[in-house]
Amino acid sequence: MIDKTSTVQDAIKNNVNAGDNVFIGGFGHLIPFYLSHELIRQKILDLTICRSGADILFDQLIASEIVKKVIFGYVGNPTVGLSHSFSRAYKKKSIEIEEWTNQSIIMRLHAARMGISFIPSKILQIGDKPSNIGHLKQVTCPYTNHKFSAIPALKPDTALIHAQCADKYGNIQMWGIDGDTIEGALASDKIIVSVEKIISNSKIKEAPEKTVIPSHRVSNIIELPWGAYPSYVSGFYSRDDDHYIEYDTTSRDEDKLSSYLKNWVHDARNIQEYKKLIGSTKIKELEEGLCGVKNED
Amino acid sequence: MKIDYREYSPNQRIAIIAASELVGYKSCFVGIGIPSDAACLAKLSVEPKLNLIYESGAVGALPRSKSYSTASPSIAHGADMITDSLSVFSDLQAGRIDVGLLSAAQIDKYGNLNSTVIGDYDDPKIRMVGSGGAHDIACLIPNLIILMPHDPRRFVDTVDFATSPGSGRDIKKIRDQLNLAEGPSILITDKAKFIMSDEGWLLHSILDNFTFAEATEGLPWSLKSPISGPIETDPMIISALAQINY
Repeated sequence: MIDKTSTVQDAIKNNVNAGDNVFIGGFGHLIPFYLSHELIRQKILDLTICRSGADILFDQLIASEIVKKVIFGYVGNPTVGLSHSFSRAYKKKSIEIEEWTNQSIIMRLHAARMGISFIPSKILQIGDKPSNIGHLKQVTCPYTNHKFSAIPALKPDTALIHAQCADKYGNIQMWGIDGDTIEGALASDKIIVSVEKIISNSKIKEAPEKTVIPSHRVSNIIELPWGAYPSYVSGFYSRDDDHYIEYDTTSRDEDKLSSYLKNWVHDARNIQEYKKLIGSTKIKELEEGLCGVKNED
Repeated sequence: MKIDYREYSPNQRIAIIAASELVGYKSCFVGIGIPSDAACLAKLSVEPKLNLIYESGAVGALPRSKSYSTASPSIAHGADMITDSLSVFSDLQAGRIDVGLLSAAQIDKYGNLNSTVIGDYDDPKIRMVGSGGAHDIACLIPNLIILMPHDPRRFVDTVDFATSPGSGRDIKKIRDQLNLAEGPSILITDKAKFIMSDEGWLLHSILDNFTFAEATEGLPWSLKSPISGPIETDPMIISALAQINY
């Protein structure tokens, strides 16, 4: 067995190159904020970033001008509003986009995971299709003659995801809402995982049904407690809704957003600094919140 | 009991009317916002057997505090099951989920919904969030109910971009050829209920105490008098409102 533990710097430096297609995990839950911020700190350029439903982490990556293309089903700040950096970049045409739907992105990842080049589906045959997916083809079922859209596989180079626990070999344990995270990770050539806690292999073996990605698929594992803040981690801490609400005001203004990024990304050189920014009052509140470690509801 | 619906906010009135429409269903595909409030209200009052399903993979959920995301802690916490999004969308495509609720920025007379752009797709006035799961639900859910606050700017003749396909004679023909679901059949605003016909939306009924002029004010479609009497709702729905007051 190989010890795959790493620093966040080395994990990104050794696995992500300029121009790569990177799947970013986390469907509302387990969003790999700190791990993905390393792409910004290392200024890895011309990235394609993809996932089904994306929230403010995508906004931050786009605002940092390291993104060439966004492949998505949704980009926004759920309930609060739009992704302002995405909207600005879209209007300035400083990013390319490939606009799908949440189901079609998940099916694209599933096709790649299964090692096939497309999946037939009933969706994306009516309504307005964005020009960027105008090439989408139809297929006829050889058994029923029914028409389906041929949803092409999406195989990212590297997946960045966050989970609750792993051992040092990279057996990943995750619970709570997954969304498309496991699908996207297993579709990708390389998988880098940050976790709240590294645990022993014997602990993993006590509940192997919680292991969602086996060690042989994982390139690097990094212990980054609070690395999914301001999203949440079931069993550890709740979601900081206030942070998301304030981010709306911040990200409307490009100057305010650059100082936000300086604070929360560039100057947060290690996870302890990041935790310091969150602050002990907020940490206590989120540990006691819904799905937090101290929630007794 | 006589209910004065004017005591309630527009979003509450939408949830009140929509909750009545969910009676008899077993499973409901729910988006965040008014759709989630309406489904919770139905479950807490007139349709306790309704299973709420969120695209994040939460099934049998009943949020007890405000949920910002379809994956929020309030949705995960207390759910009967958490699976992945692929399973939920597979069930949707297989026709295993009974009813869905959607909202959008714009709606037109055939029930096409827009959550993508205001203006031209390549050079928009406003770039919005995109489909998420809305297009998928609009293609696949056997029974689709649209919930829209009565804001005339959001009601148009033809949407700028049909993110989620509607219905009516022409679209229905294509839906049939492709073995898709029928598309939107009911539209609920904070003042009225509309039903889909070959020619587009028909005014079905108006919330008790509201007038025809109020129910149709600023809507660009040519609408005739309602085909049914005023909408009245089960007092149980009103009693349960306090429980979704977050």
